[in-house]
Amino acid sequence: MIIDFTTAAYLSIAFWLSGSMLGIAAKSSPAIRKTATALNLGGSLIMIAFIAIYWQALERPPLRTLGETRIWYAALIPLVGLLVEYRWKISWLKYYCMGLAAFFLTINLLHPEVFDKALMPALQSPWFIPHVVVYLVGYVLLAASSVAAWHNIFLSWRLKEEKSYDALSHYLALLGFVFLTFGLVFGALWAKDAWGNYWSWDPKETWAFIAWLIYLGYLHAISHRVNRLKLQWYLALAFLVLLVSWFGVNYLPTAANSVHTYQQS
Amino acid sequence: MKADRRKLFQGPWEFREAALIVILLNAAGFAIQFALGGSGITMPVWPMNAITLTILGGLILTTGLSYRNNRLVAWLGGIPLGLSLILTLAALSFIGGMVPQESGSNPTAIRLGLHSIFSSWPFALVVALFLINLGLSLSWKLVPFRLKNLQFILFHAGFWIALSCGIFGSSDLQRLVVPVEEGQANSRGYIMKSRTAQELPFSLYLHDFSIEEYPPQLMLYDPKNDRLVMNSSQAIPEVRTGATAEWKGIGVKVIEFIPSGLPGKDGIPVPVEPATGIPFAKVSISGAAGEGETWLSTGGPMLKPGAVDLDGLFLFMVPGSPKSFRSAVTLSDENGNETIADLEVNKPVNFKGWKIYQMGYDEQSGKFSTLSLLEVIRDPWLPAVYLGFFMMLAANTLFFWNGIKKSGASS
Repeated sequence: MIIDFTTAAYLSIAFWLSGSMLGIAAKSSPAIRKTATALNLGGSLIMIAFIAIYWQALERPPLRTLGETRIWYAALIPLVGLLVEYRWKISWLKYYCMGLAAFFLTINLLHPEVFDKALMPALQSPWFIPHVVVYLVGYVLLAASSVAAWHNIFLSWRLKEEKSYDALSHYLALLGFVFLTFGLVFGALWAKDAWGNYWSWDPKETWAFIAWLIYLGYLHAISHRVNRLKLQWYLALAFLVLLVSWFGVNYLPTAANSVHTYQQS
Repeated sequence: MKADRRKLFQGPWEFREAALIVILLNAAGFAIQFALGGSGITMPVWPMNAITLTILGGLILTTGLSYRNNRLVAWLGGIPLGLSLILTLAALSFIGGMVPQESGSNPTAIRLGLHSIFSSWPFALVVALFLINLGLSLSWKLVPFRLKNLQFILFHAGFWIALSCGIFGSSDLQRLVVPVEEGQANSRGYIMKSRTAQELPFSLYLHDFSIEEYPPQLMLYDPKNDRLVMNSSQAIPEVRTGATAEWKGIGVKVIEFIPSGLPGKDGIPVPVEPATGIPFAKVSISGAAGEGETWLSTGGPMLKPGAVDLDGLFLFMVPGSPKSFRSAVTLSDENGNETIADLEVNKPVNFKGWKIYQMGYDEQSGKFSTLSLLEVIRDPWLPAVYLGFFMMLAANTLFFWNGIKKSGASS
């Protein structure tokens, strides 16, 4: 294999780490801040370049196994942090995001996957890329929303501060919900073409539905003016359900019957 | 929630009443399920399901519009009950996501419907109340119609339509497996659930079934530990002429690869046409035990696989997994209408209101299979469900747009 995941992953983590340290150390200097942002961005660009090369080497989209989706996730989530900084001038979120990205790359480093080109016929569909990518973007946004909610909880507990970032966690959750809905419906439309059923209560479907309902519940709670701290707890914990639907499902007693396990190793 | 001093069931009703009612509803559902000995709910078939659904929808709309100021009706269509039902649906789905469905041994769990939660009484009752709640809230936004409510209407109506038509239409779904042999026709399908046969209004003639496989792979097997030995790059080497592979101290090079061959007169494999041969590879092996050349094969219906013993480790070649499989068929009905089609996974074909799917083949024979398993499905409610789906997607596009717009204003 010409490409080496280990090198790319260490390089990305090094970029994020040096960018973060530089950013924290030199808050006052705009020039150094720009360098820090460039390093942070660079970390994700390395991962994106790796995905592109990996895609070519595999001769199929690297979206089949959980390890492959974690690479996308690691590439995308720092970008959400950087976009939030660019758009709303909120700089703390990106550190959490890069931390999560480094965490997911570390999982992949500890559990290297078998390089396998095979793409089963059920996955060969125009729906494959939109379905998985839309879901990944949703997961990334909702992870960021959960991080923002934890930050809000921390602020109100430790600092008894009035200042909070409820609007941030809310908008990230709202956008994440939109992507979850698209992912769910795209999945249903694809399932009809692949298996003849748009819905069959497969464990992965069931968990995706639970996660979707949980965020639907959040949107109704907020429109009914439920206490703000309760809502932050809700968003902070809701992400755990999403994690089950992403890879926890594979470890549940129901997984044996799932048509969604494309892991061969 | 504010500190709430009012007593339970003292108006206006809120979350506590909603939670209590929903818990009672579940208790009733599980009690009915248990009393009936675990047999879940069965939906009526056409036209009774359509009539029931129309009456339900009509009742919800008229109740919502005539009694919108009634406190009980307002609560029935309100967010506290809606939120409680959303979380209850999540909780019941949680059972379905944890307990294996359609299999189980504990008699109490079976009787309570835990192994068939999505056709159980508690699930049905919760969905019914959910449809009422959703429908009532929708009726108030529908009349009088305002453009600013479009997102709400599209999402809630879309969900109502998709959910109700999916559930009420499920009893009209027909799903049959049709096995066809190459060069033969079949018009008889089998319903897998009830193991009964049914005559189809058309017949399927199979001209040809073919499988395309990924290249075979080289593997090194360690029989003592019953596992595959991984090389350092974590890649399973594909067999191609010139390909090399390396495991701790053992080097393998593919000198010649014959994707489809059979042993010749002198035992040396010679290429034959794809339908009859199996993959062969001539490899040179170098390692601690010395060097050598040998032929490997994946094996087939007539031949045993050829593997090599390397000091207690076995080098062998496994056939590639199927890349695609397709059936060339002719579909014809009683009136002489004919369609020629290539069926493939993910590429179903429509014929006379049915969808025909490539489902499987005789996996024992692998690429030599002359049997194709096709699935034919008729789902007359599908357009309604899809209408609901697309309304939800439209609503979410608006939601996305408005969310972005609003978040800009508040920054």
